[in-house]
Amino acid sequence: MSLREDGVSLYVHLPYCVRKCRYCDFNSHGYTSQDLAAHVEAILQEASLRAQDLAPQTVFFGGGTPTLLGAQHLARLLDGLEEITGFRQSAGEVTMEANPESLSAEVAAAILQGGVDRLSIGVQSLNNEVLAAYDRVHDAKEALAAYARARESGFRRINLDLIYAFPGQDPQQWVDTLHTVHELGPEHLSCYELSYEPGTSLTRLRDLGRWQEEDPERCAALFDLTREQNAAAGYHSYEVSAFAQPGEECRHNLAYWRSLDYVGLGAGAASWRQGVRSMNLAKPEDYERVMGEGRRPLAQQEETLPDMRVFDHLMMGLRLEREGVSVERMKRQCGSDAVDAILPRLHEFVARDLLRVWQDQEGQRFCTTARGLRMLDTLLQELLPDDDQLEV
Amino acid sequence: MSKNFPPERIRNFSIIAHIDHGKSTLADRFLEITGAVDTRKRQAQQLDSMDLERERGITIKAAAVSLTTMVHGEEYLLNLIDTPGHVDFAYEVEKSLQACEGALLLIDAAQGIQAQTVANASLAMEQDMTIIPVFNKVDLPHARPEEIEDELENTLVLERDLAIKCSAKTGLGVPEIIEAIVDRIPAPEGDPEAPLRALIFDAKYDEYRGIVVYLRIVDGTIRKGDMVHMLGADADYEAVELGKFTPVAVPHKQLSVGEVGYFISNIKRLEDVRVGDTMTVAKGERAAALTGYREPQPMVWCGIYPVSSGDFENLRAALNQLKLNDSSIIFEPESSDALGFGFRCGFLGLLHMEIVQERLERESGIDVVQTAPTVPYRMVMNDGEVKDIHSPGELPDPTQFQEIHEPIVTTHILVPATNIGVIMSMCSERRGKFLRQEHLSANRVMLTWDLPLAEIIFDFYDKLKSGTKGYGTMNFEEPRFEAAKLVKLRILVSGTEADALSVICHHSDTQRRGRAVLKVLRKEIPRHQFEVALQAAVGGKIVARESIRALSKNVTAKCYGGDISRKRKLLQKQKEGKKRMKNIGNVEVPQKAFLAVLSTDDS
Repeated sequence: MSLREDGVSLYVHLPYCVRKCRYCDFNSHGYTSQDLAAHVEAILQEASLRAQDLAPQTVFFGGGTPTLLGAQHLARLLDGLEEITGFRQSAGEVTMEANPESLSAEVAAAILQGGVDRLSIGVQSLNNEVLAAYDRVHDAKEALAAYARARESGFRRINLDLIYAFPGQDPQQWVDTLHTVHELGPEHLSCYELSYEPGTSLTRLRDLGRWQEEDPERCAALFDLTREQNAAAGYHSYEVSAFAQPGEECRHNLAYWRSLDYVGLGAGAASWRQGVRSMNLAKPEDYERVMGEGRRPLAQQEETLPDMRVFDHLMMGLRLEREGVSVERMKRQCGSDAVDAILPRLHEFVARDLLRVWQDQEGQRFCTTARGLRMLDTLLQELLPDDDQLEV
Repeated sequence: MSKNFPPERIRNFSIIAHIDHGKSTLADRFLEITGAVDTRKRQAQQLDSMDLERERGITIKAAAVSLTTMVHGEEYLLNLIDTPGHVDFAYEVEKSLQACEGALLLIDAAQGIQAQTVANASLAMEQDMTIIPVFNKVDLPHARPEEIEDELENTLVLERDLAIKCSAKTGLGVPEIIEAIVDRIPAPEGDPEAPLRALIFDAKYDEYRGIVVYLRIVDGTIRKGDMVHMLGADADYEAVELGKFTPVAVPHKQLSVGEVGYFISNIKRLEDVRVGDTMTVAKGERAAALTGYREPQPMVWCGIYPVSSGDFENLRAALNQLKLNDSSIIFEPESSDALGFGFRCGFLGLLHMEIVQERLERESGIDVVQTAPTVPYRMVMNDGEVKDIHSPGELPDPTQFQEIHEPIVTTHILVPATNIGVIMSMCSERRGKFLRQEHLSANRVMLTWDLPLAEIIFDFYDKLKSGTKGYGTMNFEEPRFEAAKLVKLRILVSGTEADALSVICHHSDTQRRGRAVLKVLRKEIPRHQFEVALQAAVGGKIVARESIRALSKNVTAKCYGGDISRKRKLLQKQKEGKKRMKNIGNVEVPQKAFLAVLSTDDS
């Protein structure tokens, strides 16, 4: 199934976690068991307000830890969403994020029944010391067991999330982890370099001098190593950190990278629809309170001007190293003038061997070269429109 | 408080103290006790009006406040003229002192007399001022007032019985201090019938009202509506508004002998207001000028350049404005290959320089790049001509001069006896010449060394502090010039000479200095898409080299639907950061790197 350019995707955020991992800067919160049922109802209420008959082409349940809700609440959420949006019929892919410790056979069965057809399991590492240093709840054995349970329950499409560039990580150890994972044979792999986001416990530790960030040269070497190893095992890279067996790319994420529309439900969820970016209130209690008043729990909204739309389109689209961005699509989304204005800049990057340009049936396309992909943030900085044009 | 006081009911005083000895806190207590400030509404440290002063905990600008209080059943007007306490600001201390008859010498009862306290007290004594020693923080468990009484007698020859013990924090002893101010400090003397003669001791710029002049009336009376004449500036102005700070500005109809207040005349010409100038009447018999202030001696020079070249004129205006209430800043236009057009500026010291830079950015909003500071050098040319240079770029070719002289200062360093060793070796490493050692008390010693000023303006003070667990203090005398073997150390970035990064240093020190500078540059210059070579050279000879490896990867690992706005803003912020950098050849150099040459560490 291919993604329609005029289609819309649905993201549902479930904000609870057992505890916060050291590197995590997502919108996640602690909880009590009473919170869960009420929160599911609040999300369904938002769905009735914003996603009635949405008929999304992809759905993604992220978090937080969605599987932590348990079989009963998840079934209620999925059934409720089906009634409102009709996703079971419309969606070509329904993914849920899962953590090893909460992906029980019961949960797996319930969500499969409820319409989920793809799992994304947060494995992160198969080294127990590393997992402990990240403050993960599970160990390597539990992660492998969770994968086996998912398969036994009947999930055909599975992604595993992994993190590399742990300080001082031996490249061979990382290669061994990749080999173990390749043998398991998930359809998709996400391999992220450990990043230090503002406000995370990891960043604080680093700033206090209690955590040594890995040397950039070694990170770059691991980045290349990851791509080589995955390619050799049949996982081609189609985005900076995403690898898939043929035809197994994550369609929901492709929708983000192609700047297609999406509606985000739940605390802190972002939406992009008809040229407007918006974001919900991040705290679950604020979200529920405003939802309880029957209003949309909006935190911020950003009208985008054509220049900014073009920039965002490139920022997301150039991450897709194979397909890149289509000039014609970009024009349809952002207007011809803004795209024409930036084309000379793109050709400059072609001359500097950071981008390449070619034609397909849709017309002209740009994508990164191997070097351009590695230097994407530097390239994007140069492409940023002046600040006064960006501030709205 | 709208009435005028006769001179015998006025006391003008200032507080001189070492940094952190509690001057601003004591001033706060005065404001409270005299009812000038509502305790509930007060913000800690009333007198430090600039944000920057509050943040750094030091007082940069003198401020004047008028207080009224009852002593012995009579109402008195006390004018408190606040003074800065840091080593750089002796000049401002002097200006403030000239407006007073007496001073409180505030000493921390735990830390004791500091080198700066000695220097400021000497300044006050030279002007025949009455000194009231005050020991602060006597309530602290580690206070040692008896020892400090010894120090007072040994170093300043002040009688121990004169000292008042107080705690500015709790208010203990504060009423006694107020009584002593009235009893011991003489009333101002002046002739109320004589023509107006007033001392301009400070000024500040107000966007709406023009320049606000701070003045002390020496003779005569000034009334609202009077036409006055600034003697030095040769300019006439009308007294549009007069008043006193209590501490908020309160208008008064007149100010007479001994009073301290402000004068507003919508003055826009900065050059008409000179701190130290004398104000008199515009018509009729004019008063003679008061003894002028000594011109400040800038001993630290650096280049200040606008990040954006279009800001050159704005920068000039901003510097003019700063000079108005900090007359010790000196500046002249200069240009640099790397940095374009800017100004060479002279400062009293390193802290003074930092504060000026921050005030420039804060008050004018102009982004500036500042080059590494240097001391002035005196060249004796081949034809015997003597000329001063203020930047390494001005150093002529070695074949053109006979000698180069550098400023040497006699430095007094007060340290605990246990730290003598480390300080002695520190001074000797810095080309110092030992003069003498004196004991202040059983545990404290004053060391006197001759040191090249260039060796102490950078990090000497920090090293002194760390070598003495914070107890060491220092003060230095007027510099004199002595011949030395000095050379220019050039810095090359990717083969392009960065004139703004070059330094003058001793010929025996080029390798160490070069290595230290390059090491810091390597840290401060971000990785580029190509390798950046760094070299230090004397003449054509390379004395040190380093390289910055090329950036091989710069891409965000994770970017999904919820990350877009944040990610874009982050890139924007990084781009803003780059805009503030300066290009040397094709290398972007952040502002911090220009101060790299300060580094003397080779560890």
